[in-house]
Amino acid sequence: MAATPRSEARAGLKLISPTAIYVIVLLALPLATVLVYSMMTGGRGNVSLPLTIANYAELWSKPVYGYILLKSLLVALSVTFITVVLAYPVAYFVSFHVKPDRKSLWLFLITIPFWTSYIIRVSLWFVILGYDGILDKALMSLGIMNTQLNFSSYGIPAIIFVLAHAYAPFAVLPIFVSLEKVDRSLLEAGQDLGESRWVTFLRVTLPLSMPGVIAAALIVFIPTVGDYVTPKLVGDGREPMIANFIETALLKLRNYPQGSAFAVVSMLMVGIVSVVFVLLNRRFIGGSK
Amino acid sequence: MKAPWLRGFTLFYLLFLYSPILLLPIFAFNDSKVVSFPLSGFTTNWFVEMWADKNLRIAAKNSLIIALSVATLSTILGIFAARASVRYRFPGKAPLMGLIMLPLVLPEMIVAMSLLVVLLSIGVPLSLLTVIMGQVLICTPFAVAILTSAFQSLDRSLEEAALDLGETQWSTFRLIILPLVMPGILASFLICFTISFDEFIIANFLGSGRPILSVYIFGQFRFPSKVPSMLALGTVLVCFSIILLGFAEYMRRRGIAKAGGKDAGGFL
Amino acid sequence: MTYSDDRATMIEFKDVHKYYGDYHALRGINGTIKAGEFFSLLGPSGCGKTTLLRTIAGFEDISSGVIMIDGKDMAGVAANARPTNMVFQSYAIFPHMSVAENVGFGLRKDPRSKEEKARAVAEALEMVGLKGYGNRAAHALSGGQRQRVALARALILKPKVLLLDEPLSALDKKMREHMQVELIKLQRQVGITFILVTHDQEEALVMSDRIAVMFEGEIAQLADPETLYRRPATKKVADFIGTMNFVPATILSETGNAVEVDAKGLGRVMLDIDQAPAKAGESPVVGLRPETLTLLYDDQKAPERETDGVIDEVIYFGDMTYYDVYLGGTDVEVRLSMRNVPGRPVLDVGEKVRVAWSPSALVLFR
Repeated sequence: MAATPRSEARAGLKLISPTAIYVIVLLALPLATVLVYSMMTGGRGNVSLPLTIANYAELWSKPVYGYILLKSLLVALSVTFITVVLAYPVAYFVSFHVKPDRKSLWLFLITIPFWTSYIIRVSLWFVILGYDGILDKALMSLGIMNTQLNFSSYGIPAIIFVLAHAYAPFAVLPIFVSLEKVDRSLLEAGQDLGESRWVTFLRVTLPLSMPGVIAAALIVFIPTVGDYVTPKLVGDGREPMIANFIETALLKLRNYPQGSAFAVVSMLMVGIVSVVFVLLNRRFIGGSK
Repeated sequence: MKAPWLRGFTLFYLLFLYSPILLLPIFAFNDSKVVSFPLSGFTTNWFVEMWADKNLRIAAKNSLIIALSVATLSTILGIFAARASVRYRFPGKAPLMGLIMLPLVLPEMIVAMSLLVVLLSIGVPLSLLTVIMGQVLICTPFAVAILTSAFQSLDRSLEEAALDLGETQWSTFRLIILPLVMPGILASFLICFTISFDEFIIANFLGSGRPILSVYIFGQFRFPSKVPSMLALGTVLVCFSIILLGFAEYMRRRGIAKAGGKDAGGFL
Repeated sequence: MTYSDDRATMIEFKDVHKYYGDYHALRGINGTIKAGEFFSLLGPSGCGKTTLLRTIAGFEDISSGVIMIDGKDMAGVAANARPTNMVFQSYAIFPHMSVAENVGFGLRKDPRSKEEKARAVAEALEMVGLKGYGNRAAHALSGGQRQRVALARALILKPKVLLLDEPLSALDKKMREHMQVELIKLQRQVGITFILVTHDQEEALVMSDRIAVMFEGEIAQLADPETLYRRPATKKVADFIGTMNFVPATILSETGNAVEVDAKGLGRVMLDIDQAPAKAGESPVVGLRPETLTLLYDDQKAPERETDGVIDEVIYFGDMTYYDVYLGGTDVEVRLSMRNVPGRPVLDVGEKVRVAWSPSALVLFR
């Protein structure tokens, strides 16, 4: 690759410097600080040397940490799976069965809920699903149930349900974009070569749209695994996830080293899952070329 | 190719997406303190109560200050980064852009907490300013994404043509580049504004209990008596969001039409 | 308007080099472009012709060497201060401005009054055949119209040199041929130096006073179109411009201003020294253009030399027929073209023919 002319490099660096300095000071340094804290000792709001890996050893030895991580992971993966599976037919419908000039309108309709207050949407589910909520009242007045269902207290399933609803629109767009890129003549070629419409879908369309599916999975997975509001509101706060636990460790217990170590491990976990997604994507892109 | 079941499924999906939002206006105008069916009559009392809520007004004002500041700052930082990454090659570009976009793939709680830990350690008092500082971090990647595509759709030779016709770097930026990416700048501003206005985690933890709309709403929903007026507020907010988004989409399309390109789909 | 040595020099290159990192894009460019000349930079993509044009415009710095425009060294002179204007490949019409605003763009700092500027814009539009188009939106124009706007926008500033970066490549064939003629007329009308970058050899031959053929960052030959076509300096130039048959040959003797060669299938030929350009380290071949070869019908006699052959392939083009012919019982195949005039039948594959040729049409590459 050609080296960069020095004047161009200088102009580029100068231009990006305000943004770069901002993120270095307010993002990179704090993250580095958390990393350093995670290897220090202390508690109750102070930290001290020497550097140690004791905090990580404790994470490893006490099952509660693993439980929180695993639970968050499973919740996020379930939500990811549900949203992607539900979103695919929708994206497929808009891409293949909607007239080109109407596509924007459909996408617009699908995206609007995503841009309307997340807090209100989640809180509404609390009102709907909670004890004596709209759902309970409706079910009881219709005579379907005679006691409170109080779905909200069902913990993990309720969390998954609410998160799946909250992040559903995220999944449609990337899948739609990848479906739009599928050359329509490939499908005709598939059928021309004697495959049925369904097999053509399985052998041509689905593999070609996998990059979009994986992008969708990533886009849903990352915010859900770190979601704070839903576990706090739904499930009566009895099923904390990563974000809630970090809050407890850092702000309530004020154990900076331990909380930092947990944050670092969480980041690592999210990072590893993301990398797996990306690698999967590479394979599909590589395979389709 | 008709696909009735696909269409049916999509409509059902939309209903699922919209169901809680549809309940908003229904109960916002329902004349009952208890949020449940059957409905008991029409009232605008909840809107009146919402309007009279002094704390709510303070929270809304704070949220507006934050969202306007965040949208402005993020868009400006986004312009710098997007322009630099589209136009120039320079050492360290990939890691720098990676760092700028990092909050997209980082749980927000971790962004908030790492910043909070540092702010507490060096003794910076929490305020609206610290909320703005944090939210700019998570909004900038969105601004960069939107603006990058705006800058990319600019033909490089337009710039060269202006230089060739006697303009300077700066007047070229002012006369050619800025007008052509203006729709992207507006879209970025609106989307950052919306994200900031909605944002909860940073507002909650870096705001140190200051009344900020999302935090206030979150708190009020715990009191059943406050729920109806919150629904009224929600109705108003949803209407605002739709208007803002409609405007953003309109600007985006106008931008594409101006640059002579083709519509490649929605946001992001 | 043909090239003449007594014209003033407009642009001079002295050992111009350009590196992109390790990539050597321009490898010692030398030469001059005269005032009022229609000059073309011709070559395949990646040969450096666009880079060279952009160094003239000032969009690219040069790594070493000197570029002089109208007697002034251009080192450190920015694009906006050079007496050149450019018509871009994409035309670079500002999409948010009207046609008139585009054409008048460069007049922003011009001290003339508004009315005078408007008149200048109208004149420029009229010159390119777009009279009355001033108020149109730029993005509503067709390809040909955009190009005219780009021309008017550059010419209104009365540059000393107009640079054209593949200006016709985006147009369809008919429009392209039409614009070629228009550009030639325009150049004669305004009388300034035009420098055209193109990969289309036909376009270069049709339009230019002189052409620089470039390969891999070097000028392989700089000459007028006829010389370039009839006496290409290297096999590569010959191959790039038009079609040329290559026949392996051995050099028998070389004396002063004559070279005797034995060309396979053609026999011994004496060539004048100007038919044998400088050595380029290639194994010797003689080149012949298809139209310099003629099939002889029954009673015809060759004016100079003739060779027997067998038709291997017939390609019928309507007005012309191309024949691939094996020469004199060898495996050397040449292509020749015959006009399909009345009374001249199209021959069949396998027929034995006699091929007439002229030693003066040969070029030796060695």
